[in-house]
Amino acid sequence: MMHLLRKELSELVTRQMLISLVMSFIIISMLGSLMTNVLTDEFTDYGTVRMIDQDQTEFTQQIIDKLQEDGYTVQTASDFTEGVNQYHWSEATLLPEGMTDLLLVQHEQCQVHSYTLLKTTSSVSLSMMGDSSTQTVVNAINSLLSDEYLQGDLDFLENPIQTVPYTQANNRTVQANPSLILSSLSLFDQLMPLLLFLLVVLTAQTIITAIAAEKADKTLETLLSSPVPRSTIIGAKMLAALIVALVYALTYGMAFLSTVVSTFSGNSGSVDIGETFSEVVATRHYAEELSLQIPFMGWVGVLAQLALTLGITLTASIILGALVEDSKNTQYASLPIMLCTMFPYILSMVSDIRNMGAVKWLLYCIPFTHTFIATANFRFHDLPLFFGGLVYQAVFLAFMVVLALKLYSSDLLFVHRSIFAKKKTTENE
Amino acid sequence: MTALDVQKIEKSYGKKQAVKGVSFQIQEGEIFGLMGMNGAGKTTILRMLATLLTPDSGDALIAGHSIVKEPDKVRAHISYLPDEAGAYRSMTGEKYLDFIAGLYFKDEAEQDECIQLGKEICGLGDALSRKINTYSRGMTRKLVLARTVMTRPALAILDEPTSGLDVLNSLDIRNTIKRCAKEYGTAFLLSSHHMQEVHTTADKGAIMKDGVFLAEGTPDEILQKYNAETLEQAFERAVKGE
Repeated sequence: MMHLLRKELSELVTRQMLISLVMSFIIISMLGSLMTNVLTDEFTDYGTVRMIDQDQTEFTQQIIDKLQEDGYTVQTASDFTEGVNQYHWSEATLLPEGMTDLLLVQHEQCQVHSYTLLKTTSSVSLSMMGDSSTQTVVNAINSLLSDEYLQGDLDFLENPIQTVPYTQANNRTVQANPSLILSSLSLFDQLMPLLLFLLVVLTAQTIITAIAAEKADKTLETLLSSPVPRSTIIGAKMLAALIVALVYALTYGMAFLSTVVSTFSGNSGSVDIGETFSEVVATRHYAEELSLQIPFMGWVGVLAQLALTLGITLTASIILGALVEDSKNTQYASLPIMLCTMFPYILSMVSDIRNMGAVKWLLYCIPFTHTFIATANFRFHDLPLFFGGLVYQAVFLAFMVVLALKLYSSDLLFVHRSIFAKKKTTENE
Repeated sequence: MTALDVQKIEKSYGKKQAVKGVSFQIQEGEIFGLMGMNGAGKTTILRMLATLLTPDSGDALIAGHSIVKEPDKVRAHISYLPDEAGAYRSMTGEKYLDFIAGLYFKDEAEQDECIQLGKEICGLGDALSRKINTYSRGMTRKLVLARTVMTRPALAILDEPTSGLDVLNSLDIRNTIKRCAKEYGTAFLLSSHHMQEVHTTADKGAIMKDGVFLAEGTPDEILQKYNAETLEQAFERAVKGE
């Protein structure tokens, strides 16, 4: 076994693979500091209000003063074009001439103008610009007008109703915002599926490519006609692919983790993200109160599902790799595994699979689904679903191992082409 | 002593019968050449004897073991070289021989002896310390032939051993086969499109068409049967039914 394992590893661990691994680590880690810089810029930008004051009255000056008192940096220009050319504005709010007269003398409604420089097709970027900044100015004007026209308890009039958030889970209730509680859990819950996805895809591609290459070079025929049990040959291939995939997953995982940490611990201008992160950590006790924490045995169960998922991936890849005609088709062969991983991964990210009606049963048939929802099953005490998934995965793996052994001991490995393309085989025989 | 005894072996792919009840024997140290056009059934026979395919009916005994009932035992006595087989390109030639020796022998002394024999047979010298992806086609072929015979199998099964090689490399390979048969008593079963190769290398041979033997015997016996001067002529007359 060790003899074969060494050979499999020497085939998989190449200089190119190591270079790609190191480069991936560096790129993903660099992404962390890049994201911190981008976020810093975004938050700095978020604290800046750009105004064109064409009214130039005492009231408009009060608006600027109020915004500065509220912590905003106010930039002004004579018109939008000047702001764009000189200060690289992408949006601004214009206070038109006569605005003060309309509001304070004639007591009529007036308009402020919101300018946006269109320079991207990114809807996300667009949604972050313009309107919210103008709304900040409008809020400042409304506040000043309230001071002018309303006497008495202004705080009460401005905020007559306050919301107190309550979150319930596992028949327990705490006074806390649900998004804050989720954010304290999501670091691992989001990282784990990502790592699992990477692990499954990398393992599948690694092993399918390796077997396809062995078939193309006909070294597989040499190996299978040697006095080594087929189970040992398959086992060595699976173990080597598992080791390589784990190295990949750990490298990517550490790089992603460093990205997350550097992003959340960065200081970004007027808004301290580090403080926000600390707040997230401080809310862990809410998760404990709601019994959302996973016990030690729960983590063991999650790891067991992870191991079973990898086992299924490895055996499925060994089967698919054996059916590949040539090494150029490996990406098609790995497609079924990628799709079976991608659907539960994406759906578990955007929705709760357990409440998906009839579709959930279809997803439960995919053994990988159970690993993607493993942490949720433990957090929400859905143990029958967790253990049901675990047993299903174990049975599925046993079935796949038997299938792989049968395939590697049968004629199908060498004659499957004759089933799909009789003419080609006839020529070769 | 009989190294291979094939008994009415048959194999079909769906409705197509690739091998139809073929029987033949190869003695220890004997070289047997299978001649036939593409699709005649040569590779199917070789793959069945290499335990990669299971016969539909019939059997073959290799060193006394049945390929149907005891494929695991058979594998310890055979060595198979597929048509245009390569080797692990990221390994050096020496590592490759070492890897193959490890598959056949657990004892280190036996492994070392096997590797030494492989090195001597392939004759690649210092090139063995280079990676296989730097080898020419001829060098790779010499290496894989060496790994096939270095384990001293009872039966070496070679599918088109000189295909795609130049004259000198082909000659080297043929001489190695003859030498190993003589010195180590290895029986060889080889398939070939080159009649001259079979004539100069094999002790016996057979002409195949549509899964059956049209003729079997020594090259001289086949020539005599078809009243031909060369094996090519005999082959042409056999397959055309003249």
